Amino acid sequence: MCASVKYNIRGPALIPRMKIKHRIYYITLFSVVLLGLIATGVFQFWPHSIESSNDWSVEKRSVRDVPVVRLPADSPIPERGDLSCRMHTCFDVYRCGFNPKNKIKVFIYSLKKYVDDSGVPVSNTISREYNELLTAISDSDYYTDDITRACLFVPSIDVLNQNTLRIKETAQALAQLSRWDRGTNHLLFNMLPGGPPDYNTALDVPRDSPRRYFLLSSQMALHPEYREELGALQAKHGESVLVLDKCTNLSEDVLSVRKRCHEHQVFDYPQVLQEATFCVVLRGARLGQAVLSDVLRAGCVPVVIADSYILPFSEVLDWKRASVVVPEEKMADVYSILQSIPQRQIEEMQRQARWFWEAYFQSIKAIALATLQIINDRIYPYAAISYEEWNDPPTVKWGSVSNPLFLPLIPPQSQGFTAIVLTYDRVESLFRVITEVSKVPSLSKLLVVWNNQNKSPPEESLWPKIRVPLKVVRTAENKLSNRFFPYDEIETEAVLAIDDDIIMLTSDELQFGYEVWREFPDRLVGYPGRLHLWDHEMSKWKYESEWTNEVSMVLTGAAFYHKYFNYLYTYKMPGDIKNWVDAHMNCEDIAMNFLVANVTGKAVIKVTPRKKFKCPECTAIDGLSLDQTHMVERSECINKFASVFGTMPLKVVEHRADPVLYKDDFPEKLKSFPNIGSL
Amino acid sequence: MQSCRRKSLWLALLASWLLGLLGILPLLRLAVPTGPRAGAPQGWPRWLDAELLQSFLQPGELPEDAPQLRRAPRGGSCDWGACFDTSKCRSGGFKVFVYPAAEPTSEMQHKILASIEGSRYHTVSPTEACLHLLTLDAPAGACSLVPPKWNGGKNHLVLRLHPASCSGTFQLGWAMVAEASPTVDTFRPGFDVALPLLPEAHPVRGGAPGQLRQHSPHPGAALLALAEERGGWRVAATDSSACPWDGHCEQDHGPEQTHPGAALPNATFCLIPGRRADALRFLQALQAGCIPVLLSPRWELPFSEVIDWTKAAIVADKRLPLQVLAALQEMPPTRVLALRQQTQFLWDTYFSSVEKVIRTALESLRSFCRSFRTGSSEHPLTHRCCGTAPQGHSWPCPRSPRVPWTSPSITYSRILVLWSNDKPPPPSWPETAVPLLVIEGHRKVSARFFPHSAISTDAILSLDAHSSLSTSEVDFAFVVWQSFPERMVGFLTWSHFWDEAQGRWGYTAERVNEFSMVLTSAAFYHRYYHTLFTHSLPKALRRLAEAAPHCVDVLMNFLVAAATKLPPIKVPSGRRHEDASPPRVPGDLGPAARDCIDRVAAGFGHMPLVSSRLRLDPVLFKDPVSVLRKKYRGLEKP
Repeated sequence: MCASVKYNIRGPALIPRMKIKHRIYYITLFSVVLLGLIATGVFQFWPHSIESSNDWSVEKRSVRDVPVVRLPADSPIPERGDLSCRMHTCFDVYRCGFNPKNKIKVFIYSLKKYVDDSGVPVSNTISREYNELLTAISDSDYYTDDITRACLFVPSIDVLNQNTLRIKETAQALAQLSRWDRGTNHLLFNMLPGGPPDYNTALDVPRDSPRRYFLLSSQMALHPEYREELGALQAKHGESVLVLDKCTNLSEDVLSVRKRCHEHQVFDYPQVLQEATFCVVLRGARLGQAVLSDVLRAGCVPVVIADSYILPFSEVLDWKRASVVVPEEKMADVYSILQSIPQRQIEEMQRQARWFWEAYFQSIKAIALATLQIINDRIYPYAAISYEEWNDPPTVKWGSVSNPLFLPLIPPQSQGFTAIVLTYDRVESLFRVITEVSKVPSLSKLLVVWNNQNKSPPEESLWPKIRVPLKVVRTAENKLSNRFFPYDEIETEAVLAIDDDIIMLTSDELQFGYEVWREFPDRLVGYPGRLHLWDHEMSKWKYESEWTNEVSMVLTGAAFYHKYFNYLYTYKMPGDIKNWVDAHMNCEDIAMNFLVANVTGKAVIKVTPRKKFKCPECTAIDGLSLDQTHMVERSECINKFASVFGTMPLKVVEHRADPVLYKDDFPEKLKSFPNIGSL
Repeated sequence: MQSCRRKSLWLALLASWLLGLLGILPLLRLAVPTGPRAGAPQGWPRWLDAELLQSFLQPGELPEDAPQLRRAPRGGSCDWGACFDTSKCRSGGFKVFVYPAAEPTSEMQHKILASIEGSRYHTVSPTEACLHLLTLDAPAGACSLVPPKWNGGKNHLVLRLHPASCSGTFQLGWAMVAEASPTVDTFRPGFDVALPLLPEAHPVRGGAPGQLRQHSPHPGAALLALAEERGGWRVAATDSSACPWDGHCEQDHGPEQTHPGAALPNATFCLIPGRRADALRFLQALQAGCIPVLLSPRWELPFSEVIDWTKAAIVADKRLPLQVLAALQEMPPTRVLALRQQTQFLWDTYFSSVEKVIRTALESLRSFCRSFRTGSSEHPLTHRCCGTAPQGHSWPCPRSPRVPWTSPSITYSRILVLWSNDKPPPPSWPETAVPLLVIEGHRKVSARFFPHSAISTDAILSLDAHSSLSTSEVDFAFVVWQSFPERMVGFLTWSHFWDEAQGRWGYTAERVNEFSMVLTSAAFYHRYYHTLFTHSLPKALRRLAEAAPHCVDVLMNFLVAAATKLPPIKVPSGRRHEDASPPRVPGDLGPAARDCIDRVAAGFGHMPLVSSRLRLDPVLFKDPVSVLRKKYRGLEKP
């Protein structure tokens, strides 16, 4: 500060008074400072591309600069492919033995330019599509640059187009790859037979307007026999069938690939496909691949009339859901066959065809990744992607539940249940609960979760003596979630979660609750029921504990459920719900209700008329205001959880489970569960 | 002056240092990543001229050019389009003719033939049939001659029970082959049928249910049981020793028990080698709910065309044993749970009896037989996720649509009156708010459970002319049914019991603390059970229903219980309990009625009924609160 002030005041006088050497010194110093400033500025504002580190790791060269390899005319030609090859005969799976996470590793040979003896190139070095494909593989998780760890090898020799290939020379080029070994574990991509999908045509999103034609054929080079049969179909069914062919009268400059004609009418291709419900894919020179991808993309349902044509990715894709396959022999009946398909199914097939296109055929990248995934599934079948994941469109995946306990199975009564008592320090009440619960005939084990870190549980001799094993688990932290932890000590499937102050439930009531759970092992079975309601004024959910005709939740102060839900609660709870519960020390029961309903899609079962755990006198002491804040808090939980789950999974029902003869006019002593408590 | 100069000197130095640092930092950042980092994947190069590359398709080249001629079907690549004449099946329906067996037959062949003859597709006329079935059960050498209607094998199914039978004597031609555990080398996918390899003692019908008693594996259960070469199983130690299941390293297996005989140890996974002889173990593991882990099986899994085995078994490469072991150890509980349950579903639905195996085979053939292939049928039970079952018999579908909850409301769609008298129905009927239809029943019991096309709703309320129900009762029962559409929801109940003294089944209306059947004189159920009743009951049971109409209640309850494996649901009824015994079977259900349950149980081959001890009541049922609060007030009257 001092210096700058002085310069400002005395600046003009300063320099003349300095000696020459000082002056030079200062000038040098200032110029250094100035240069520094400039340099900093330059580096700060320089175009950022040079700083992006990604590009520094990837070579940046021209395709023309790749090394040239001369193939002598007498270089070895590999053996012919073995047509009987199967995954277990020709594939060397040992190379995939050390891949972590059940994922194959793919190596790409570096690009070379192959020329024959006379220096003529064997093929076009690499096509745009093949470059895209290799880039996609290289960017994926499958890629490795370590040839010794790779289990699959992709040559960079472009064989996409068989037509332009010099077969012998290409084979020679493949044979001299360092790991070729008769082609073991090598993957070649060959898009022809079949034309390429055209990724440049502007095609709008399929429209919902009705489609004009029922059946459309757009292929150009068809065998006259097929064309004759198509013509017969058109003659028979008139306007609803449209058969297109190559245009003959077009001027030279129009791209003939984009046009199709019927007599003298000209149609834009592939846009015309959007006008049809069903599109024919007939046996052509290349089994009609090009037309298939165009058809899928237009949301038209392909009608495949080509025997022994293997539909793309048919190993994993269920084409029955997106296409109609008709034997060539039945071609004449195709119209009536298609007419017999109900409209709803047609709509679903259209959606499915469109989804297949979007997920697996839309780009070279999608094709490459689907191919590698299929190979991966073959090598590690136990880690394979399931049928649903391959085939269900996202809307179906999100819009459906798959109950993890789908098998209707009534566990044997002899298995019994494990009671888990969460306690902090109410030892006296805890002991009473233990004594009461131990009277239930089907109890097989009692687990006390001691949630108090500052105090040790009472000595062993002080615990009540009961007929079943009693275990005490001490927790590391006082968290409500500890109640739902999948302890190794739980050996039964049925779990009874019970608070350390629930002493009013009778032994009959608990035993009956267990019996009900056996019939509904995939549900929460509890005593007091609660309801969630939509508050129209506030536009949000509200918690309701009044005596209503409906139930959507049960309190887990005493509830039976499958121990698998403990695993789900601890490890699969969506979002930050677990932390929220532990932070608020509340709503763990609501969270459990949400979780179970969300994963099973089923409602809770409320057992017996019980409405609340506390005796009426006890709640009177708490007072109204406490009750009010409690309700507000619980409502908040419901809203929070509904937003985390993205939906309201709770199901509302109007029934509860009672013993068969409950309140029937029947001698009490003859009833199985006479002592079902009051409210 | 001097001090200030010194100060400014220091300042300038400081400033230049600072600037220097500022300037060098970005330079450092630039300097480090030049040149490829060691270890990071280099990747496919980003070509500078990538945009200029040509497409693999030449500009003038059309995607399609010279057309190709049709090919005649060849025997080697037979499929349904090429080698099967479906026209016959479409005109006359799918009918199966069985050539009478000429040779003394084995027990298994006898069972299979009996099952086919008992199925609804069987026909005695070879001209009517669309599928001709020929059984080859002779040891190699002794073979019957080519049958009369052979026709190159077209529309023939050759049932080969012994691997080597008649392989040399005649050409199979266009005939399909149904074989137990065929080798993958000769199996023609999409044409041949892979049957399971059944033990000789496999029951004809009924069959033992799956042995799984709980959904998740018991914590004490072993991870892996190995099928031993000599038969039997042993529990494997799963520490990743080099050869945990290789038969060659027997020296030290640690604490393992050998389980001689057929007993299967309590294990989560059952490892089965790929030899064909081990196919028997596969079914054994399936029944036990032990997830089969197949090491490179050399045989085709049964019904692989229609059953998605990846949901119930693990097929692994035997060349990567350590990977498999690691995968089993790390398998998430959710997957284990799903696999276990699916084994039981498949066993109970398709494999537990010879009859089921044959029905599955015929149904899968029938589904191929349609003139075209397209999406699944509309059966509520043949959900695609369950492995596209041909008319499966069970409800469990892991996936169901997530429907947003809407207030349940009852709307009666229509009333169907089944006039079951020889006299014509009266000309005038009472005015009703919904359409009323009268169907002539011709005194046949089966007409009652026929899938009439007039039934347009999923829910059916079956009533007798003398049933009387209040609207509260019906409303509540319907709301309950909506929660459990696969079960029967009724008001009056019976329960079955095993009569030790007489060694037979009995049933009664008296055992009031539990029940296992509801009376169809007043019950809600899904209309699909009409389809099941009409189309999938074995012939013998259909005849029983016609002959003994009072058994139809029992039969219907058996049918639903066999499909759901769950008890029906009882809802409260206003009537007193004493009225429960049905008028048509008075008193203690009489000896004839008791006979019913025995005969039906024999027809099913097992006892599917399950008892329940609960009743579903409205939430506020008989609670001491104001009646005005309650929705179903009609139920409150004592």
